[in-house]
Amino acid sequence: MSESEERMDCEAREGGAAPLLSVADLQVRYGPAQALFDVSFELAADTTLAVLGANGAGKSTLARALSGLVPPSGGRIRFDGRDITAKAPDVIRRAGLVHLPEGRGVFPALTVQENLRMGLAVDRADRKAALERAFSIFPVLAQRHRQRAGTLSGGEQQMLSLARALMVSPRLVIADELSLGLAPRLVDVVFENLQRAREAGVSVIMIEQFAHRALGFADRCLILQRGVVAWSGPAEAAGDELLHRYLGEGTAA
Amino acid sequence: MLQYLFAGLALGAIYAIASVALVATYVSSGVFNFALGSMAFTVARFYYFLNTESGWPILPSAVVSLGLFAPALGAVLYWLLFRHLRLRSPLIKVVATIGLSVALPPAVELVFGKLTNVTAPGLAPVPLKVFHPFGAAVNMDQIMTYLGLVVVLVLGIAVLQYTDLGLKVRALVDSEALTSLSGVNPTRVSLGVWAVSTVLTGLAGILLAPTAGLSVEGMTYLMAAAFAAVVAARLNGLATAVAVALAMGVVTTVIQRYLDPESALSAQIVPSIPFAFMLLALLYHAWRRRAGEPPAGGALDRAIRVAGGATGGPAPARRGLADPTLIASGVALLSVAALPLVLPEYWAGLTATGLALAIALLSYTLVTGEGGMIWLCQITFAGMGAVLSAELATYHGWPPLLAVFVGALLIVVVGAVIGLLTIRLGDLYVALVTLTFGLLVQTLLFTRDRFYNFGQGTAMPRPGFAEDTRVFSYLTLGTFLLLALLIVNLRRSTAGMAMRAVRWSEDGARTLGLSVVQMKLLVSALATYTAAVGGGFLAMNSQSSLPDSYNVFSGLVWLAVLVTVGSRSLMAALVAGLSFHLFPGVFQTYLPTGWAEVPVLLFGLGAVMVAKDPDGILAVHARQLRGLLARRGGGLPQPSGRPAQAALASGSPDSAVHQLTGGDR
Repeated sequence: MSESEERMDCEAREGGAAPLLSVADLQVRYGPAQALFDVSFELAADTTLAVLGANGAGKSTLARALSGLVPPSGGRIRFDGRDITAKAPDVIRRAGLVHLPEGRGVFPALTVQENLRMGLAVDRADRKAALERAFSIFPVLAQRHRQRAGTLSGGEQQMLSLARALMVSPRLVIADELSLGLAPRLVDVVFENLQRAREAGVSVIMIEQFAHRALGFADRCLILQRGVVAWSGPAEAAGDELLHRYLGEGTAA
Repeated sequence: MLQYLFAGLALGAIYAIASVALVATYVSSGVFNFALGSMAFTVARFYYFLNTESGWPILPSAVVSLGLFAPALGAVLYWLLFRHLRLRSPLIKVVATIGLSVALPPAVELVFGKLTNVTAPGLAPVPLKVFHPFGAAVNMDQIMTYLGLVVVLVLGIAVLQYTDLGLKVRALVDSEALTSLSGVNPTRVSLGVWAVSTVLTGLAGILLAPTAGLSVEGMTYLMAAAFAAVVAARLNGLATAVAVALAMGVVTTVIQRYLDPESALSAQIVPSIPFAFMLLALLYHAWRRRAGEPPAGGALDRAIRVAGGATGGPAPARRGLADPTLIASGVALLSVAALPLVLPEYWAGLTATGLALAIALLSYTLVTGEGGMIWLCQITFAGMGAVLSAELATYHGWPPLLAVFVGALLIVVVGAVIGLLTIRLGDLYVALVTLTFGLLVQTLLFTRDRFYNFGQGTAMPRPGFAEDTRVFSYLTLGTFLLLALLIVNLRRSTAGMAMRAVRWSEDGARTLGLSVVQMKLLVSALATYTAAVGGGFLAMNSQSSLPDSYNVFSGLVWLAVLVTVGSRSLMAALVAGLSFHLFPGVFQTYLPTGWAEVPVLLFGLGAVMVAKDPDGILAVHARQLRGLLARRGGGLPQPSGRPAQAALASGSPDSAVHQLTGGDR
């Protein structure tokens, strides 16, 4: 463990600036089942990482471990110069890491407006402007601001989830399958807005089923297979052959 | 009429405040608080200490007890206990809060002293002012309860709907995981909810004291009524809970107008009203097929939860006669068998009672340990067994043993019916239904003059050959062993395996083609039989049926003690039964009378500790013993992540996955 930390520090010095996120030998277990084995990678500030992999490869587990939802059973996570290994999710969120979980990441019993207010629970400054920003990105949310989030359509719920991240200015957004089950037009909206966040200096880790789209968007790529990092490198180097090998025919669409 | 309505609304308002507290803690931290009554008693007792015993005026006493003491109590209990319960199994949640409810009153009495006179003033100055709106009398105490409920509702709604704090609480109810992802510390919010709801609980306790008396029994009755309201509201609807609570209060007082207050019937009907409400609500929900437990949290919360935490690890491999656990059991059994021979008369008597209790406790081992059902009415079955076998032996001239063993068969019918009725209900509902059933039997059946006989009950002779306490002890131990062997055999049989399958996963068992109904029925019937036999032996032991000793809340102490020692081990039932009677004996004989309540306190604390070690102390010690032996022998391989890491280092993810799926199961 200390060896890898040294290596990490060494690389950081060589690169000039410390990476925004560095993960070393991360392991996660759910009871007797181990989901991640010694996952290590680094993410420089202002870059986008696409995490790809087949079902059950550990993509969502990686996201949950980074945001503190599941405690790692081994390894180290450093974020923005701080050790956030096994810290509580609220502490990690306050450090500037926003995790948009897989599925409907909204509070179903709260109204749209209340969901957005929960998104601002940490960043108290200028709530009004932040709310307006959310409504200007997704006008449909403004129309439905008094409606319960659980009664929105799937796409609207994803927009609400994304709005909760875009209305504030986090350092890093982890978007887990944000385009899952969305109509193609809405997938475009999701990517447009992630692009906008990127331009505003937010780093993004995207977990995606649309591998080609994700690779076109990202700078770097990490492929997980059965809980192990199978390949990592620049996104443009992740060619078709590689995707077929690790993801199979269907997923590389 | 109006007079009854005013009184009913006052009573209902107190129930409503208590049920708001119950719902708030349940939805925000997933813990159904069986210690509500004890907590209400604690705060009310503190208020009494300040107001009556220390002579403080009403306002400062109320401010200090509700503004400082109650929130501090709630926060401390949350930090020490409730915080650890969120992810525990329903049984552990129930037992740990029952443990608290058992431990709290004696602790309070140790600090503030025992009350001999339970009449206590409320929040209104004494003598009470009486008003006469519309010709009916309303006293100041009643007005204070109306005010209390109005303040609670107005403040509650305002805070929940219009403040950031309320938003965080509602978010937490929706999904703990998402709340923490939003940067809000769920522990801190829960802590606040517990502090506030303890204030409400305390307020209900203080308001109730003038009419129901400042006693644990009175507060327990308040808790039962709040349970009924909350069940009617399906555990989460605040508005319904408040409405039902008010209705219950009104019905309770209005019905008294039509009953002769002197009659035995009214003495039985009035206390049964909350239970009638609960029964109606449950039947209604079951009919609408909505009596499953609402899932805790959202999809994300379920996704990150590790399943099966409290159902115990894999069964240890069988190691023949040299198994250290088996040897330990044998040694324990031999020493128990020696007890009646070596102990003087008084202690031998306690041992006999403990052995008889151990038989009854075996029924928990069956229904809860094997069947995974939380039944809180085993003591009621024991009581029914005691009453029925005494009836048969005394009035029908049956030989005592025959009366016990055949009489118990009749009780089985009752148990099977309860088993059938509760099969589709969620764990918590099962616990509440069985608790309610026990309370109903206690108020409606055990108090009938024929059975009650001024608390003496019906005489119950011992069998002619076992008049002597020592012989009777061996008869009891023999019966215990017989039933225990039966359970061991059952565990090994196919039916036992099917039972275990049902305990682990009902859906899984169903997909295998196992009949869940059959399994649960079998367990309930066997457990009821065991409990009833145990009751018969307890009656033979005291040579009378003594219906008072089968109080449902004593049954909660039984369960607390048993789960503390271990809910699945047969030896645990023996150890629990003996310690339940021998331990207080030690305190009574060798320590000053002021310490008499300490054993109960310790039993309660033991059950609270289950929150940390769900398997009970016997299992923990057995584990430590096995660990020690393994280290001595350098033998048993410890499962660890090592092989998987080695496989990874060699660069082959496939072998790592093999380790993952094959190695750890």
